[in-house]
Amino acid sequence: MKKALPYIIFVLLLCWHAVLYAQDRFPRPEFESGYVYPTNQMPTQRAPVWEYFDVAVLISALIVSTWLALKKRSRQGLIWMSVFSLAYFGFYRQGCICSVGSVQNVALALFNDGYTIPLSALLFFIIPLLFALAYGRVFCAGVCPLGAIQELTGFMPVKLPKTVEIILASVPFIYLTLAVLFASTNSQFIICRYDPFVGIFRLDATYTMIIFGVLLLLAGIFVNRPYCRYLCPYGVLLNVFSRFAGKHLTITPAECTNCRLCEEACPYDAIIPSDTDQNREEPEKSRKRFILYFLLIPLFAITGAYILYYLAPALSGVNGDVRLAREIRMEKETEIESVSKAMVAFKESGKTEIELFAEEEIIISRFKKASPWAGAFLGISFGIGMISLTIRSKRSEYKPHQGRCFSCGRCFKYCPIKVQTQNEA
Amino acid sequence: MTEGTNKYQSRRDFVRRAGKLIVAVPLVILPVALTKKTSAAGYVWQIDPFKCTQCGQCKTNCVLTPSASKCVHAFRMCGYCDLCGGYLRQGVKTISTGAENQLCPTGAITRKFVEEPYFEYTFNEDLCDGCAKCVKGCADFGNGSLYMQIRHDRCVNCNECSIARTCPSNAVIRVPADVSYMPKDAGVVKKGTNE
Amino acid sequence: MKLKLNEKDISILKVVSQVAGGFILVVALTMIFSLVQLKTINPLDNPVLLSVKDQYDKDPANAAKAEQVRAMDLMARKAYFSSRWQVETGSYLLLAGAIIFIFCQRLISDNEKLNPVLPCAKKDSSFQQKRNRRYLIATASVISLTAIVASFVLRNDLPDPPGQSGTSANVEAKGKETAPKPDKTNFPFFRGQDSRGIAGGSGYPTEWDGIAGKNIEWKIEIPKQGQSSPVIWGDKIFITGAKDKECEVYCINKKTGDILWIGSASNIPGEPTVLPKVDQDAGLAASTVATNGKEVCAVFANGNLICFNMDGKKKWAKNIGVPENSYGYSSSLVIYENLLLVQYDSEKKISLIGFDIETGDQKWETIRQGHTVWSSPVLAYFDGKPQLIINGNPKVSSYDPSTGKELWAVDCMSGDVAPSIAVNSTMAYAVTDYAKLAAIKPGTGASIIWEDNTYTPDVSSPVANDEFLFISTGNGDVACYNPEKGDTLWTHYFMDQFYASPIIADDMVYLLDRSGVMHIVKAKSEFQLVAESSLGESTDCTPAFSDKKIYIRGKKNLYCISKN
Repeated sequence: MKKALPYIIFVLLLCWHAVLYAQDRFPRPEFESGYVYPTNQMPTQRAPVWEYFDVAVLISALIVSTWLALKKRSRQGLIWMSVFSLAYFGFYRQGCICSVGSVQNVALALFNDGYTIPLSALLFFIIPLLFALAYGRVFCAGVCPLGAIQELTGFMPVKLPKTVEIILASVPFIYLTLAVLFASTNSQFIICRYDPFVGIFRLDATYTMIIFGVLLLLAGIFVNRPYCRYLCPYGVLLNVFSRFAGKHLTITPAECTNCRLCEEACPYDAIIPSDTDQNREEPEKSRKRFILYFLLIPLFAITGAYILYYLAPALSGVNGDVRLAREIRMEKETEIESVSKAMVAFKESGKTEIELFAEEEIIISRFKKASPWAGAFLGISFGIGMISLTIRSKRSEYKPHQGRCFSCGRCFKYCPIKVQTQNEA
Repeated sequence: MTEGTNKYQSRRDFVRRAGKLIVAVPLVILPVALTKKTSAAGYVWQIDPFKCTQCGQCKTNCVLTPSASKCVHAFRMCGYCDLCGGYLRQGVKTISTGAENQLCPTGAITRKFVEEPYFEYTFNEDLCDGCAKCVKGCADFGNGSLYMQIRHDRCVNCNECSIARTCPSNAVIRVPADVSYMPKDAGVVKKGTNE
Repeated sequence: MKLKLNEKDISILKVVSQVAGGFILVVALTMIFSLVQLKTINPLDNPVLLSVKDQYDKDPANAAKAEQVRAMDLMARKAYFSSRWQVETGSYLLLAGAIIFIFCQRLISDNEKLNPVLPCAKKDSSFQQKRNRRYLIATASVISLTAIVASFVLRNDLPDPPGQSGTSANVEAKGKETAPKPDKTNFPFFRGQDSRGIAGGSGYPTEWDGIAGKNIEWKIEIPKQGQSSPVIWGDKIFITGAKDKECEVYCINKKTGDILWIGSASNIPGEPTVLPKVDQDAGLAASTVATNGKEVCAVFANGNLICFNMDGKKKWAKNIGVPENSYGYSSSLVIYENLLLVQYDSEKKISLIGFDIETGDQKWETIRQGHTVWSSPVLAYFDGKPQLIINGNPKVSSYDPSTGKELWAVDCMSGDVAPSIAVNSTMAYAVTDYAKLAAIKPGTGASIIWEDNTYTPDVSSPVANDEFLFISTGNGDVACYNPEKGDTLWTHYFMDQFYASPIIADDMVYLLDRSGVMHIVKAKSEFQLVAESSLGESTDCTPAFSDKKIYIRGKKNLYCISKN
């Protein structure tokens, strides 16, 4: 027995090793030739300090654009600013992170405990809005790379009939609502996925996105800034904030003489003519309409909330887990085995169907909770839109519509008024 | 007339100032609400090698061509086998470095004899296109020392990684920027003589 | 900083931009062409290459073939990398061309002479506003209508709430099902209606003596032995027996004890030639039959599944594969509507199978996860929906009895699981020896409400109603628990082991021990023994109750006990 003891111990140790390296099919080698394990390179990405450099560039670009649009009134300057932004934020930083997409990061952070928003992303969201609140949509003028690429390729502006304008102008609201809904339920970042220009910035994208981007740019030669006007979700926020700007780009450097030469200047139909010479509606009538729409806003909100609540299960199909759960149910009902990668991975993962269905229920209930708010937002936006089309204001000057004007400065050269500079004086 | 317009102007200004304040409130509340949820450093995307099922979507779904995700070799986990499940394709009759035996479609793996009976397998990252065939082979027939990782000198760090969106096992996750890699051999016991 | 350009410059610029535009078009077209090519024939998955590789596989010694493969492979890789290079360079060229084009165009358009044209009469702004309002209302209405229509059209995507089957008609009816009260005559499954362990009717005898013949109405010898329990419908008792390979189903007149017919369940196609290894005690006839008044079905441990009509005519028979497991297959059958539900436990596969009771066709099979068990399924009704609950290892799982879809599962068992589930109107109870007694709240997210491991039976299934939970164990203990909270109300130690499952009848609990003694206690929160009646023969099977009479299977004989 004593003789056997060392062998017993040896066997026990072997077993212990087997336990330790239980996962290895093949035992690791014991090298006798002095072989040294090679090291793996693990290259890191850009140092985080550069993100704050980007924020600094953003702020500087905004300051310069504001000065160019409001003070210096130079369209050429704004064009060169656009070129710089396109080069830096577009091709150099490859269009990510951008303020347009930062809406989703904020939504994700607000409603999900597992995600903390990087400070630079939050700043990218807030700073252009602050500038818009103070000076109008100067972000759109010379800083946003998506706006820049459209501004630079807008050669032959053509005006769209108002019907089409109004229909298309409602799309950004829907896009914003859906983007926030999907981001807050941690389902998908649709703004990033369907960004038409990021593929051009990266010089690499899926075929559909490249085609979409190129087609949009080609269309943008005639219908200028199509993404900005009819798709940009961030533009909805900029639109709202810009309306309250105290200082905004003006068409004329001094007082407007109502010469009407700038009336057709703006391809975005953002110039509001004066109306002192027009017959205006009786104040009573418009006041009544104003009050009517104001009182109807809750009704619009509730209708919107209801409609979107019933749409919630369909919307939740955007979420990958919900889609997988539906695939499993479909498989059971039709008895056709699904061979999608998600199905195969799910079966290999050892997760039970019950767990997945429980998760699916949670996601759908989140959608059901969030969708009414989204619907209410749409209803309220509609109501406010109606109100803004009811407000009568006595306008004695030609001014840009602070919500729609991109502060691009195209109208400057149409105004014949020139301010004498100190030199000339 | 001018008085009327002046009154109107001031009313308008008042509305504008009031509106400005109302609208500025959420902008101020937002960073306050998010104080606990803001981080100074950012995130990068990385593949959790223990959740990865080697489905091959890393190659096709990355917005970049070639994909930013490449195969990495955890040498300390490798068995250095002659019949490597990640280098040789299934059902090989002879073991050699001939193209007819290789699993890797782009020839990114180099096989080198070390000592009897061990062979070293190294990767040429520029040739690797992230198809994960070798990873699957190693996981099925070997020690699982090959794994996919997103290389951060190539990754553009999209706001939402396209691979993450479609990963069937949710293996692609955000990791803090200072961590940035999830090596498979992080916890492996070091062998004395070979370090 | 404006450049003043004259006519000549402008025309040069126009030419340059046209050239650039043409250049872009050419490069773009070539790129598209090569990309399309790349997509349709990926050089790395080239079918020619693959076929050559296949050929090489068939003839690996052929060196020439190997050379061919290598050459083709090299070509394929070159093609792949060169196409990638093409795309990259192409996109840079496109970018360069685009920059030139845009630059020229910009200069041209910036230098366009402005012809200030005074626009015609100003548009009526209030009219415009009105028109815009109308357009906005129209747009909003269209969008809302689309959304409403979409929410109806896409409603099919709504997940079915758990427990409901696909067709909507069934959904309406099923939503309101509750556990039917146990019938006073019919005892259709193992442990009675729905396999719950609760007998209907009242006035059951409490005192008898099998040796003396007191209160024994009749006693017959069952031709072949088995461990299955008797089942009753109307006037008929159904029971099975087997000797070696011969498996039989017996139909006995419950009033007289005469055997009405014997159905043979042997020589069924697919039947194994070698008997499966079963425990000495078990034999092939361990599973209890199930009947619905029209058909009676039986399953045996060699995988033979057979269905007779009430008069003994065979409707269909098949072999569902030998359920190999260590003790021998013993799960009993359950019938739900027109489905025969079989809990199939074999080393190779464990599942729940639903057969059409008329034809015997397999309708569905739901694979279960875990290890083989020897429990039987129980039909329960929670939230108005029927569910079939199986005590499994490690999970207690619940299935929709019509479709087999798993409704919920809870991890709680381990070891050899033989007792079946006990249910009342709100909870399910699972227990096995060397594990624990777990009280489960059923439904999605099912969880264990309380557990206890003092009294754990190894064979006998617990029984519960809304007031009490009764357990009888293999060492002779009987315990009564509060089913909601789990505190022990009373316990009593009887000398002998309990294998048969206790049955609640008439406000009393009938506990049959292995030696044949029936201990009858009051179903109350205090221990109160009513009677102890001996059969005189060892008993392992659970008794059946029907029309004021009790039917007990002993090792050899079937007894009918009534109050005379």
